[in-house]
Amino acid sequence: MLRRIAAREFLERVRDGRLYWAGGLILALLLTALAVGFAHQRAAQAEQKAAQAMDYQDWLHQDHRHPHDAAHQGMHAFKPEPALSILDPGINPYIGSTIWLQAHRQSEVKFNPAQDATGLQRFGNLSVGWILQVLGPLLIIVLGFNAFAGEREQGILRQTLSLGVEPLRLLGGKALALAGCAGALLLPAALVAGAALAVVAEPGERADTLLRFAFLGLGYAAYLGIWIFVVLGVSAASRTSRVAITVLLALWIAQAVMAPRILSEASRLAHPSATRLAFNQALAADLKATSDRVWLQNFGTTERWGADVPLRQWGIALRLDDQASYPVYDRHFARLWDTWEQQQRLQEWSGLVVPVLSMRAFSMGLAGTDFAHHRDFAVAAEQHRRHIQDLMSADLVKHADPLGDQHFAYQASPELWASVPPFHYHKPRLGWALGRQALSLAVLCLGLVLAAAFAAAAVRRQSAL
Amino acid sequence: MTTHAPRRARFAMIALQEFRLLGREPALWMVGLLFLALVVYATVNGLAQTAARHAAQAAVQQADQSTRSAQRALLLRMLAGTDAPKPFENPANPAVMASSYGGSHALLPGIALAPVALGQSDLFPSQFKVTHQSRVVFMNPSDIESPWHLLSGHFDLAFVLIYVLPLLIFALSYNLLSGERESGTLRLLLSQPLHLRTLVAGKLAARAVALLLPSVVVPACVLLLARWWMGEPAGGGAGLLWWAALVGAYALFWFALVVAVNAFGASSATNAMVLVIAWVLLVLVVPVLLNLGVTTASPAPSRTELATRTRVVTAEAMSKHADLMSTDYQHVGRGALLLPKDGKIEIAGRALGNYRIQRDVDAAIQPDLDRFDRQSARQQALVARFAILSPAAVAYEGMTGLAGTGGRRHARFAEQTTQFHRQWKDFFFPRIDARAALSAEDFDAIPRFAWREEPPSVVRRHALVAVVQLLLPGLLLLLLATLRLRRFSVA
Repeated sequence: MLRRIAAREFLERVRDGRLYWAGGLILALLLTALAVGFAHQRAAQAEQKAAQAMDYQDWLHQDHRHPHDAAHQGMHAFKPEPALSILDPGINPYIGSTIWLQAHRQSEVKFNPAQDATGLQRFGNLSVGWILQVLGPLLIIVLGFNAFAGEREQGILRQTLSLGVEPLRLLGGKALALAGCAGALLLPAALVAGAALAVVAEPGERADTLLRFAFLGLGYAAYLGIWIFVVLGVSAASRTSRVAITVLLALWIAQAVMAPRILSEASRLAHPSATRLAFNQALAADLKATSDRVWLQNFGTTERWGADVPLRQWGIALRLDDQASYPVYDRHFARLWDTWEQQQRLQEWSGLVVPVLSMRAFSMGLAGTDFAHHRDFAVAAEQHRRHIQDLMSADLVKHADPLGDQHFAYQASPELWASVPPFHYHKPRLGWALGRQALSLAVLCLGLVLAAAFAAAAVRRQSAL
Repeated sequence: MTTHAPRRARFAMIALQEFRLLGREPALWMVGLLFLALVVYATVNGLAQTAARHAAQAAVQQADQSTRSAQRALLLRMLAGTDAPKPFENPANPAVMASSYGGSHALLPGIALAPVALGQSDLFPSQFKVTHQSRVVFMNPSDIESPWHLLSGHFDLAFVLIYVLPLLIFALSYNLLSGERESGTLRLLLSQPLHLRTLVAGKLAARAVALLLPSVVVPACVLLLARWWMGEPAGGGAGLLWWAALVGAYALFWFALVVAVNAFGASSATNAMVLVIAWVLLVLVVPVLLNLGVTTASPAPSRTELATRTRVVTAEAMSKHADLMSTDYQHVGRGALLLPKDGKIEIAGRALGNYRIQRDVDAAIQPDLDRFDRQSARQQALVARFAILSPAAVAYEGMTGLAGTGGRRHARFAEQTTQFHRQWKDFFFPRIDARAALSAEDFDAIPRFAWREEPPSVVRRHALVAVVQLLLPGLLLLLLATLRLRRFSVA
């Protein structure tokens, strides 16, 4: 029976042209977004690899020079573009992908693509994620708003129920039909996406990428499932299809268009982050106090350029300063990044009433384009920077000038440069990403259960009389 | 005159009657109040964010001023022999003052209309700390902002008007004629001495007043009130008028679309569906496709490539000045070397080396940065040309242009910062080369950034173009509607 109801509903959507028109538009957009994402990812990945390799070669081919100067010039860490960014670029267009690993300070990422974009960037980027999150629910609404209400207006619903068809079975059949319609559109796109991912994924990461893709598919299935039940529930609870479409469109606009901005502002009010000036001032003050303490402990003075600490001791001084600064940077950046994560968590919780927010977090998280992945990369890059600093300082300590008043005259040989390994970033695996997205996944699943319960309650109230 | 007078009276009568009818619809009151709440929230949010930005800038300016005063005081004490400088905090040394120690901020101030459209104010930096370093080092986004917020965008008045106002226009007017026809009242109305066009105009006028009141008058009052409350001068009146014209033209486009759709004589349900599809396409899809088109047709040069190029030119400059970089500091334990003598000052070899490296990097990377500027200008030109495909894009560009938070004003800021950087270099570089110590008089002559606002004529011209770009399709739709209404069947 379930299958027959679903088949009939599906056929109806095909016959009235809605599936062709609305679905065709979505499919065309999806394929365009896939093509754009694919081309962008390939170009960015190739460029990143070439730049990273060239950067290291430049490092290795430095002449004889002072190690601290080499450390000052440092290296760059280029964030690899994950394969799944062809589906959801997430925060990447807004955060940049290059970190300069220089002496003394922990750098932030430079060069976000949004700084080179026009005002239209504010309308969003065409991506599979955006289409599914924003236009996906609209497609479900267009396909299903009159599933119950329309039949009631025509009197078919009463007839069907009087035949003894279980209301819940009717709901199941209609839900299955809507899922079938969405599946008929999304499966071809998913196959194309799967093939594209298999091509762009690094050989060692192919299995992880495809597994992430599978989970991403499940997440979107849950998200669209929520909308299927909400649409059917509202359609069943509405007197006419006009009321149903009005309520559903209002819901969609509030959810997909307005809520992300409102909750983004609200989360910022709940967990305010520091201004640039305040952050820099607090960091500088903490660094200065820490450095003074270390100098006092080790040299009995805080005077940097006095006779108490001759230049031959500057290797030790640099090492002490650097190593004392690491926990300070960790503390300040962790505080800032934790604030951002708290803001995001608040939005993920809001997913209970605004599913798009949980979906967005889950989608970025699985695609490897969320802040957690970015933070992991930034931490790895910072560790590499510290490794370079430590190696350079150790060499300076080892080659401290025996004459006592020279420091910069020393020039290290290229063997020292070769002792620094290239920066290899190992992207986190699926388990790590899922662990971080447990909340949004749980909220999505709970949302699905609640939506199904709402639809069941609305449909149960239908009677043949 | 005699034929027009009764028509005008009938128009006024219909508008008034419609206004009364709208007023008696409880659902509309609810939606209207919700819209009003959104408008007020968005305006207040815009005001709060602009005030926070203003406060942050004032703090930067204050920090700059107090740092400079402290440096000047130290210089005077040094010259009086009562204090000794540290090597990297020496206000008499031009190489030190040209660097981050003496660096000065270029700030882009907000304007009176900024709260209505926060635009790209969080994406484009509104402050740069200018030093003798290359532009490639200091001209980067400077604010701390969560990338999630950057992705979400603001909830400002521009957002509410661009996204929500059209929907409200639909809610009030999707069945402008179809509703009357379906209930049978249209036939009755037109049996009176009443022209269909007068009926439509009267209905539209009532709705326009009902909607433009909360969308234009309320925010304008909130803005003026806020400025008065904060004791700021009540400027920006002309901008406010242009903004009202822009919102009016944007609303007119959607009203025209409603009339045109109604003129085809389909059912209310079909009208609603067509209008919502048009909204999805024109507000959501076309701007995103336009963005894609612009970035594909004229892609920004690669920033990764720029990073690599910066590294290469830095390495070249460093090896060119390797001798200076290997010089040891002579001042350790000999603080007297840091003091000026006969107007001259000893500049340590490494400090000199650093300065020359920065100078060379800046010169070598200039063509690459120019490429970014040219590309950005090309993209902006493309947006200006093709934004007409989406009234939402035109309205957004127009509103951010008037609010001073769009690409054009930020490009102007970047250009003026570049000029200021040039002045900075022109001031310090000859002094560094001549090892000339900075005196108190020199100190007062250190360049300061003074923002030169966009000429009002430029703002006006762009606002006018945006209004025309909105009016043109609106009028075309009205023309189409007029033609269709001639054949409109009341049955």
